[in-house]
Amino acid sequence: MKWLELLQVAGVTLFSAVTLVVLYSLGVRLTAIAGDAQQKSPGLMRSLAYVCFAICGAAVLFGIYLIVPYFGK
Amino acid sequence: MVALVIALALFFDFTNGFHDTANAMATPIATGAIKPKTAVALAAVLNLVGAFLSTEVAKTISGGLIREGTDGIHITPDIIFAGLMGAVLWNMVTWLKGLPSSSSHALFGGLIGAAVVGIGFHSINFETVLQKVILPAIFAPLIAGLVAYICTRLAYALTSRHDPETGDKLTQKRGGFRTGQIFTSSLVALAHGTNDAQKTMGIITLVLIAAGTQTPGSGPQFWVIAACAFAIAIGTYAGGWRIIRTMGSGLTEVKPAQGFSAETSTASAILASSHLGFALSTTQVASGSVIGSGLGRKGTSVRWGTAGKIALGWLFTLPASAIVGALTALLVGTGVVGVIIAAVAGTAAVLFMFVASRKSHVGHHNAVEVEEAGHAVRFRKKKKSRKTTPSEDVQR
Repeated sequence: MKWLELLQVAGVTLFSAVTLVVLYSLGVRLTAIAGDAQQKSPGLMRSLAYVCFAICGAAVLFGIYLIVPYFGK
Repeated sequence: MVALVIALALFFDFTNGFHDTANAMATPIATGAIKPKTAVALAAVLNLVGAFLSTEVAKTISGGLIREGTDGIHITPDIIFAGLMGAVLWNMVTWLKGLPSSSSHALFGGLIGAAVVGIGFHSINFETVLQKVILPAIFAPLIAGLVAYICTRLAYALTSRHDPETGDKLTQKRGGFRTGQIFTSSLVALAHGTNDAQKTMGIITLVLIAAGTQTPGSGPQFWVIAACAFAIAIGTYAGGWRIIRTMGSGLTEVKPAQGFSAETSTASAILASSHLGFALSTTQVASGSVIGSGLGRKGTSVRWGTAGKIALGWLFTLPASAIVGALTALLVGTGVVGVIIAAVAGTAAVLFMFVASRKSHVGHHNAVEVEEAGHAVRFRKKKKSRKTTPSEDVQR
């Protein structure tokens, strides 16, 4: 039985999904903060949010890289 | 016989497409991230592209469930025909009932049933069945559900905003998750295209090789790739609206942050499983994610009755399609007349189910009450902004 593979799949799934969701949530949060009226440095917050979204975008690109077999082998 | 198998294989590809649209597109449709018709069109295009991207044919049809290959048993087109019949009919039944169920497990079931009748019990590799079908069916929803639960919790915790002074809830501004949903669900659709169209290509190619029209060891011919790609894309575009309804609003209510968490978990689980060697069914992963995300969001309830029905469907997938596969194999075994009877009976059953589906029509217009949900969200936003304005005034 491939218990090790199963654990590995579970672990990787957990790690990647949590990382992505945390980053994206941070991005959403920072965008929201940047939009607040009393925010002193909306520019900084907005750019931080964009950094978060950019990392998420990179993760999606990595996903495409994994899906397309042409890159894989 | 070869032509018949190819036609049936393409129809299976079609049912596979419309069965699995829901996996990728149910939650974005439910949250209103993408309009229903746009969503299925997007999924169809991605499936089409995905199918053309991967043309590596599997060495075995059943993935080792049946002892096939050079030193094993020779699988005849008859058995493939019977197996496909079982898979197609089971796919139609589950679609009619609106149950998401794994198309590959249905195919495995049909092939097992056909092989038992056509060859005998010794042809089945029971350890592989346990490892490839039964254990994943238990663990896929568990893993995906747990991950989606954690993600949903995190997503809500990170984006819940309270005014530091008054403790009032501020505008949550979680609309950004809708944009994210488009990307994650597209990944799921693309992955589906690369995996599932390939199965049908493999079947058709192996049948062609068995019939002697293609040299052994060669890849699928271009018309096979194109036909499979279009069959799965058309199937996806036809949209299994019944299943989308179950996944999008039948199991639990889906909100953008929750949908994003569910889709991210689904995409991660599928990519991890297809690259680390423990194959999980997309459908089962997606269903588990939706349930898990429903548990993770406060104020939602998961409709366990529906979840139970789906689980029951999974339990029956293998035996039910195996029985149909076995019966078809029996009929086919009697000769040409049997083949004709099987083909006619199969077509009749599919038509009957299609007619039955017309009685309670579920289409893009009523699959998920997105409009209502959209209004509710907008309404709530307004209410909240009204709430926050006075507090802002006070601060000024």
